[in-house]
Amino acid sequence: MKRHTVALALAAGVLATTNVLAEDFDWRKYEGTEITWAYDIHPYADAVVAYMDEFEELTGIKVKPELYPDDTYWGKLNIQLSSGSPDWDVVGIGVQPAWDVTPAGQLTPLKAFIEDPSMTNPEYDYEDFFPALRRAWTWNVEEEKIIDTPDGEIWAIPHAFENVQLMYRTDILHRLGVEPPGTLPELTAACMQITKADPSITPMAVRGVRFWSSIHTAPISIARSYGVSDFVGSGEDFDTGLDSADSIRFHKDYVEMIQACAPDSWANDNWYQVVDGLSSGKTAMAMDANMFGFWNNIKGASEASGKIAFAPPVTAPDSAEFASNIFIWSLAINSASEKKGAAWYFMQWATSKEMNVRGATDGKLVNPPRASTWEDQAWVDYAKQPEFNNFYDTFNTVQPKIALLFTPRYGFGIAMNAWAVAMQDMVGGADVQERLSELADDIREELE
Amino acid sequence: MMREGVNRGRSGRTFLLISLLPAILILGGFILLFFWGFYQSLTDMRFGRARVDFEGLGNYARLFDRGRFWDSISTTTIYAFTAVACEAVLGLAIAKLFNTRTLLAKWCRPVILLPLVLPPLSVALMWTTMMNPETGVLNYFLSFIGINNFGWISKADTAMFAVVFIDVWTFTPFFALIIFAGLRGISPEIIEAGRMNGAKAWGLFFRIELPMVLPYIILAALFRLIDSLNQFDIIFGTTQGGPGNATNVLSISAYFTAFQNLQFGRGAAIMIVNWFVVLVSALVMVKLWRYTRKRVS
Repeated sequence: MKRHTVALALAAGVLATTNVLAEDFDWRKYEGTEITWAYDIHPYADAVVAYMDEFEELTGIKVKPELYPDDTYWGKLNIQLSSGSPDWDVVGIGVQPAWDVTPAGQLTPLKAFIEDPSMTNPEYDYEDFFPALRRAWTWNVEEEKIIDTPDGEIWAIPHAFENVQLMYRTDILHRLGVEPPGTLPELTAACMQITKADPSITPMAVRGVRFWSSIHTAPISIARSYGVSDFVGSGEDFDTGLDSADSIRFHKDYVEMIQACAPDSWANDNWYQVVDGLSSGKTAMAMDANMFGFWNNIKGASEASGKIAFAPPVTAPDSAEFASNIFIWSLAINSASEKKGAAWYFMQWATSKEMNVRGATDGKLVNPPRASTWEDQAWVDYAKQPEFNNFYDTFNTVQPKIALLFTPRYGFGIAMNAWAVAMQDMVGGADVQERLSELADDIREELE
Repeated sequence: MMREGVNRGRSGRTFLLISLLPAILILGGFILLFFWGFYQSLTDMRFGRARVDFEGLGNYARLFDRGRFWDSISTTTIYAFTAVACEAVLGLAIAKLFNTRTLLAKWCRPVILLPLVLPPLSVALMWTTMMNPETGVLNYFLSFIGINNFGWISKADTAMFAVVFIDVWTFTPFFALIIFAGLRGISPEIIEAGRMNGAKAWGLFFRIELPMVLPYIILAALFRLIDSLNQFDIIFGTTQGGPGNATNVLSISAYFTAFQNLQFGRGAAIMIVNWFVVLVSALVMVKLWRYTRKRVS
């Protein structure tokens, strides 16, 4: 009943807002245009596709979605952008891949659109996006360089975002009498306790594949609380921070944790194995993007529905300050697009306050990137339903500490992929200090 | 009369040229692409950067200077030669079985082709599931003989064994079929003559059959070696070159460098080295094949 009322109120609100938007702003400026929107096959895409008819009715712009499986999409995106093809107008992208494409001018800067009242609906409110997300998408470019500045250009609009949290099965931890850990050594100890109590349960799952995507969840978030940065200094003193004393301390603890907690298949585990373990009840805890826990908690979504709870990422033993890395799913305009105006109209509609609330309350656009969504009663009521456990409160605890923890760099993947390979070596038994020193030498050679 | 003959000769040549044209164009395309790849390897071409500078042999010098590159060369050759050697021995054994009139041979002949017709990436995904140390069916079977938690593709010390194992499972039938064809080609009179001279089964095999099918074995090994030295699908679909660099063969290393690290110039240099390794190995095998064929004839 409550859900029904919420949905009715929301629909009425959206209808009224759409009418207001249509009156105050010329939404039909690009009537008759057809654009192509490329994205990953993902709940975030579903959240937009579900309301596409409304956009087409509002603007007269026809949008052709081209959705691809995850592995295919990112490769195809690189090829489309680098070839200068105008076939795709709007693309889904993350900050890290964008560091490699913006120096060559493959994305359209958006500041001019955002600041132009004839192009942007006055209700749009760009400042409503969480500051960490706006900051992550702001930089200037020089050839082969990202100039990280808060006054820089804006390259994409956040659509939804992942933040790293510790997720755990309440039923398993309760049954085994284990408390959710707060620090990395506590996590290792909790794993040992779980293994002792029930060897059939995998205590903890994190990604382990030899790509930077393994680093961007648990390792970089926990490493920051140990005082580790991927890079330190600037200008002439710019250097890797991965062979520092703090880094050695972190890696020793992290390797020990993986050896005690993770499944034997860790080196081959990507996000799908991590999520599958948690949802099937084979794994007690996982540290990854929080929305996986949310989606599996949705009533009827999995056997785990209502059983996954959330906690901030674990920290160093002597630190109370946790850090949570983010990946921002965003929309950007291909610089080769010949329909940039219509493309921007679609983007501002898809990332508007209204669409954010609708996508979130449909259970798809999680985490919504606008601060106002998190204050919207419809979303608050939805996210606070019992099956989501402490999702809402934990998000509010973590949100002020979220940040993109990688250093913005053109070619950032080289060092970060090498870090993931080194992590596999260390977990496999390589001496931590020696391997980090070798990793740092490789990165320094690259910097030269 | 003579003019007619000249015309016929001309039209014959034109027909020949037209028939050969597609092959010439395709060959020309391959050669062009190869030289384009080689040119790329001499540049600092990177994704996301418009400028491309000519570096000469800089990429190669940087590669040869790195220990990890030589590890990749050694990983590639260990993978390829071990896989091909195992496939040759097992293929010979299976071919010998096929060459009998047993019921087992009759049943196995149609089934043997199965691994060969599966796409290598599907094979890799299938084995990845079966080799999962925790949930895979292989460790379930191993547990009956007291082996628990064998690492397969997930541990650095077992990953090479695991990927070679998959290669052997997939391509042994190729050897078996070619060697079987060789065995069928041996004249029954020669075998009979051997028997009349008192040769036992082992003697017949080592002194007559094996030398006569050796050119077939080497020919199959040549094709498989070319493929295994370039192997990508099986390794990428299972270990992606890991854990660490345990199965980081040249083709995987080139892929990572070009498409993950977006350094196309350097990736192309690794591919050219890979090509050179294949070329040298293939030339040696061709020489060996010629030698054995000469001996047989």
